[in-house]
Amino acid sequence: MSASLAPECNEVKERYDTCFLKWYSEKYLRGAEKDNKECAGLFNEYQKCLSLALKDRGIDKLLDEAREDNKENDVRLTAPRITLYAPLLDRDPRHLRRWLHHRALGPARGLVVLTVIFITIFVPVALLARGETRLHDGLMRVFWPTDIRRSDRAGVVVGWRNSTLDVFVVTILEYVDAHNVEFHLKSGTFFRSGPHSPNRIYDLCGHSSMHVLGVANVASQTEVDPSWVCAKTSANSQYPRIACAKASSVQLILYDRPHPKGMQYISLNPIALALGDKGSFPDDVTSGEDDSAEAKHAAANKENRRKLMEKLKQHSIIKRVPSARDKALPKIVNQVNWSWELEQVLQQNVGRLGPRPKRGLSVSERVVESATTMRNYVLVQLWTLLSVYLFPIVQQAFILVLFFHRVLAEILLIILEFRAKPGYAALKDISATAQQIEIRLQQFCYWPMQYVTLRQRKANWASVTTSHPDYIRFYNSLWLVANDVIIGMAMGSYIIEHKEWVADQIRDLLRVYTVEALQSGISWLMGWPAGLKLNGELAAFLGDLFLWVIDYWSSCIEALSPALPHIIWFVGFSSFAGASMPIAMFSDLLSVLTVHIYSFYLASARIYHWQLTILRSLFHLFRGKKHNVLRNRIDSCDYDLDQLLVGTILFTLLFFLLPTVMVFYLNFAIARMIIISMKAGFDTLLSCLNHFPLFALMLRLKDPSRLPGGIRFELRDTHAYKLSDANDKNFNEPPTSIIYLKCIPLPFRAMFHQYFQLAHRIRKHYLSPRVLLCLITGQFVPPINRKNLYSLQYSMLPAKRATMWEMWRAVNTEIDFPQKKPFQLPNIPQLQNGGKRPAGFGRARSYA
Amino acid sequence: MLTTAPRLRIRRPSPTTAEYTVTTLPPQTLPLRLLWLLLLFLRIFLSLVTLLIIYARWVQERSSFGAAPTPFSPLSLPPLLSLDRIIFLLDTFQDTPSGKLLASIAASVTLPVLVPVAGAVFYALSLRVHKEESLLVLRGLGVQTSESPATYLASAATRFIPTEKIQDILVNEAFRGFEVRYYLVVVVEGEEDVVVVFPGLLPKRKIVETVWRGVRECLYEGRGEDNRVMANEK
Repeated sequence: MSASLAPECNEVKERYDTCFLKWYSEKYLRGAEKDNKECAGLFNEYQKCLSLALKDRGIDKLLDEAREDNKENDVRLTAPRITLYAPLLDRDPRHLRRWLHHRALGPARGLVVLTVIFITIFVPVALLARGETRLHDGLMRVFWPTDIRRSDRAGVVVGWRNSTLDVFVVTILEYVDAHNVEFHLKSGTFFRSGPHSPNRIYDLCGHSSMHVLGVANVASQTEVDPSWVCAKTSANSQYPRIACAKASSVQLILYDRPHPKGMQYISLNPIALALGDKGSFPDDVTSGEDDSAEAKHAAANKENRRKLMEKLKQHSIIKRVPSARDKALPKIVNQVNWSWELEQVLQQNVGRLGPRPKRGLSVSERVVESATTMRNYVLVQLWTLLSVYLFPIVQQAFILVLFFHRVLAEILLIILEFRAKPGYAALKDISATAQQIEIRLQQFCYWPMQYVTLRQRKANWASVTTSHPDYIRFYNSLWLVANDVIIGMAMGSYIIEHKEWVADQIRDLLRVYTVEALQSGISWLMGWPAGLKLNGELAAFLGDLFLWVIDYWSSCIEALSPALPHIIWFVGFSSFAGASMPIAMFSDLLSVLTVHIYSFYLASARIYHWQLTILRSLFHLFRGKKHNVLRNRIDSCDYDLDQLLVGTILFTLLFFLLPTVMVFYLNFAIARMIIISMKAGFDTLLSCLNHFPLFALMLRLKDPSRLPGGIRFELRDTHAYKLSDANDKNFNEPPTSIIYLKCIPLPFRAMFHQYFQLAHRIRKHYLSPRVLLCLITGQFVPPINRKNLYSLQYSMLPAKRATMWEMWRAVNTEIDFPQKKPFQLPNIPQLQNGGKRPAGFGRARSYA
Repeated sequence: MLTTAPRLRIRRPSPTTAEYTVTTLPPQTLPLRLLWLLLLFLRIFLSLVTLLIIYARWVQERSSFGAAPTPFSPLSLPPLLSLDRIIFLLDTFQDTPSGKLLASIAASVTLPVLVPVAGAVFYALSLRVHKEESLLVLRGLGVQTSESPATYLASAATRFIPTEKIQDILVNEAFRGFEVRYYLVVVVEGEEDVVVVFPGLLPKRKIVETVWRGVRECLYEGRGEDNRVMANEK
């Protein structure tokens, strides 16, 4: 509850406010009552008190003042609206003054009367428009790190002040004066020796400097600034106790500092493991016209849902404007991420605040100092020699070699991506091997760029978290390639050693499954299979045709077989480039060696489909109808007798021949489906080898906070907290809730999100009734859009690869690293008042 | 006995922070606590039995491959709290009558049946008896829904919605079977779906209303710092 203008009216006002709000939310908003009767008595009381107080304070004086600063006339504040706010303005004298000035009312009495009228009539309206209005709710929000040191010593609480009652604590500085700290924070003394510019910090944390938020463990609360936090920490209590003169309730939010050197961070949204900048991200709606029916259905569903949501959203009466505190959340996430590094910097530089004692060094110290200086000098000379003469040569040589390879890669990529006409298939679309080579080359082109980006990370504060997903992606792809090569070496050496045996196996497999099984199947169909009475002549004709082609094919295979060990040797040799290469090659080999089955499938499907189409149109003729092409409908048609006769005879003939053709078609369709599913198996293996989130999985096990998946809050019990409170009375703290801010590690489901998506897409495409219909009617089953199928393969690569020139520039530009300081002051004088400073202070500062 | 109809538990340490928990856990009484303890022992006992059966089967499989384990001599006991000691204890258990009974059970079931059944038993033993769903309301931050998972092994699934994103919080009604259920939804800005609070338990209307009032009060009532800005703008 906010205070009234006159302190003596506070109590009355509060009672009235409570009554009114209760009535407003429970009766008025429900439309139960339009007239506020129950609070009328309270209101009169409050009114009387206020009018007395206004007279006492001398409104005349106030009016005079108002007339004087006539110049700042705020046109936006129109008179009636101001009057509407009159009761609200009661909280702040300045508002009242401005209001008086606008109205330019003469006597105070008039003001009071008008106020009374407007309160009784317009307050409900005003409140309806405004929502519940309070000038401030007295809620204080304190973010407090869990690892802050707990001691009874006095200190200054330093951090960010996001708004008056919304503070973010970074650290507690001991044995320093608060005003002194404030001055040094403003002037940036703390960051003067920092390795990087502090502007980046201020930019991300949303303030132009850090603030002194309050004091810790002071004797009496009375003498501190009212908006300052008074914290009380002790070595044996887990939570600090917070009090603030302005706050009526406190949210104490404890957070764990993420360790930026360990690349831990928190974020509101889950970390993106895939490179999400693709405009061509395949959606079901855009996947082409072939599955338009399903796409339309899905789109209609989506549209319906959207409309429903729109309707639901229209139920909201009040559009609440988020307060500054609500909007601060992204900023606070950044502040949490920066907290560790800032604390280090502050604690290291506390020594700068105090006056430096001037004391001569003792003899032994002088000896030690000159010895260190000498050692450092020698080291530095050696290092300079190395870095000035040797290192640039090695670097240039490496870059040249790299660039030469890049040129080769570019040429190969152009060949692989060459399309005779736009829309035609490129080499990489036909062959799995070509695609695998293309992926590897693309990765090779992307690595230098990624590496340069990652090196730039070093030139900045460790708390900048934007490049962490890049880091994971880069090392994931490196690791996968390394794994691939290791597995490939094992596989390759096995294949090369046993190439005769492997070739024999493959030859046997080919003979048994693609020749003999097919032959026996066809001869089975030529007899009466499963008691089905087929047309003997047609079956014999078709069977003989296929058998003859198979015979020819098998002789081809025989001719090929002496070369098979060499091919196998080549496949084995290629696997030194990674296990994915032989898999891709086997996939290609499979499609080449089963070409005859594919052609049989095509031929039989065509015959079967023609027959079905003819049967359908003849059936229309049989019924005396025909298909009107112009209107795309069935019309009645008067056929001549001879037309009908011939049509009916043909219909009968074709109908009786249909089962024969159908069994042959089914035979080859099933064989084709088996081959497709085998190739799908190979593709799955390839995508696992190329894009399994191995690095992310390992990180998840090793350190879950490196893979943030959002934040969550936990309300802690305040029992123990209250008990410890009882023993000192002079620390009056408002009601406090203790909340723990935690990071949710990325769920495993989200890591495999793309795999799930891919599985869903394939399921939707191939297990739909439409595909079954295509299969039954002998139409060509449309293959799934390649963009859909291989979106996973390319998800880690940019949509457009960097050109050679871009790479040349990126590799050759020097990254301006901060000047490393080889010399440090051997020791920095101790603070006079014995301020705490971590050991190894100087060294830790210069290394960053 | 072990669960009740969903009931509401409110924790509100300060007026601007509240946690509403809907749970099927009945109030803790002495008989109930004893029952819980009994259930816990039963769970532990059954998991132990399953583990021992699997171990017996493992020993049988191992001996069928001819790799006989080195027998420990009773004179030199392996040190306490070591892996050898545990194996020793397990082996001595195999010779007791109950151990022999378990071994005969393990021998009578084929491996493709035994392993999935054991897995299913472990899963069933780790299932939670009661469900708990909660809504944490923090003024200035947002609301967070959480659901207790099905088993004791997983952690609670939470979803945090910042205040900026909350468009409205309302009580809606829906048909479910032959009844009408009232449920609390959070309308999130820029999202296709609403977030249902207490989605699994769907408590009755009275509870939902209490929570609704509480949430609105906790989030919005008596909130001022933005209104000052708005008043100035008008």
